[in-house]
Amino acid sequence: MIEDIFLITLVILAIIALNTKKLRRAVVYLGVFSLVSSFVYLLYGAPDVAIAEAIIGSTITTVLYLVALRKYKVFSIYYTNDSNFQDIRLLKSESPFLYNLETFLVKREMEPQIIYSREPIETVLAQEKFDLAIHHTDQDIWIYGCAEDYQFDAVEDYLLTNHGDLNLHLMRCAEGEDNEA
Amino acid sequence: MTDHSEIISRITGLLYPFILLFGFYLILNGHASPGGGFQGGAVLASVFITRYLVEPDRCIRLNTLKTAEKTLFVCIILYPALFLFVSPANHSELLNLIYLIVMNFLIGLKVCSGFTIIFFRFAFFEGGI
Repeated sequence: MIEDIFLITLVILAIIALNTKKLRRAVVYLGVFSLVSSFVYLLYGAPDVAIAEAIIGSTITTVLYLVALRKYKVFSIYYTNDSNFQDIRLLKSESPFLYNLETFLVKREMEPQIIYSREPIETVLAQEKFDLAIHHTDQDIWIYGCAEDYQFDAVEDYLLTNHGDLNLHLMRCAEGEDNEA
Repeated sequence: MTDHSEIISRITGLLYPFILLFGFYLILNGHASPGGGFQGGAVLASVFITRYLVEPDRCIRLNTLKTAEKTLFVCIILYPALFLFVSPANHSELLNLIYLIVMNFLIGLKVCSGFTIIFFRFAFFEGGI
């Protein structure tokens, strides 16, 4: 009887973990999930497995996931321009595009970090680790991102709906050694 | 986790000896009760991992740990072989007990250093930042 209750709790916790909006909450639910599952192991008479599950499932993997989340949060954007810009702050106030992109990323729990570069876009693409690379010419905006980055899909959706009037060109690079997301 | 809280660091500092004690209990009593080398080693590793929560900026000496892990691995291979060849044909109960405890101890230390290396390597050297 008790086993049934806890097994149903397991399923409910798994569904809750899948349906959360924030990834950090999902990690916490997963920790609770492994704690409950270790208790179920105990009820079925496997204390050895229960100890291992409790330690590895709820301590080590939870901390690992949290560290991974913190690492993934920083979103670096490289910005290059054709004309020689003088002041970085002036540039940001002049283009609402960048500002909107930043607010959108903040809303998605990321920490956007814009790096202004004077190098040509080819060098940036080849050498730097970037999540987004933006090349701003007079008429067009070229945006480069990783093909397998799911954040880039969201950015693409957002830009196409809100900034459809600008000449946007979205390019997807293959995941290389240098430009890992 | 960037702005670490005073409460968590104090409480984890208080808990260290108990976690260590529990880990060594699991390892040394593993032949008679639930637990054993792997589980005890994971508990010991969680001491180092929670240390990261207290002091997120400081790394530990990974190279020393790596050397220790390799040495322990060689010991884990050598010790059963040595036991097989050296011990008399009809070995006593006591000899078996000593063998189990030492083996569990070696495995526990190896698992502890392995988990710690994986975690700190991941936290400090992989990916962005």
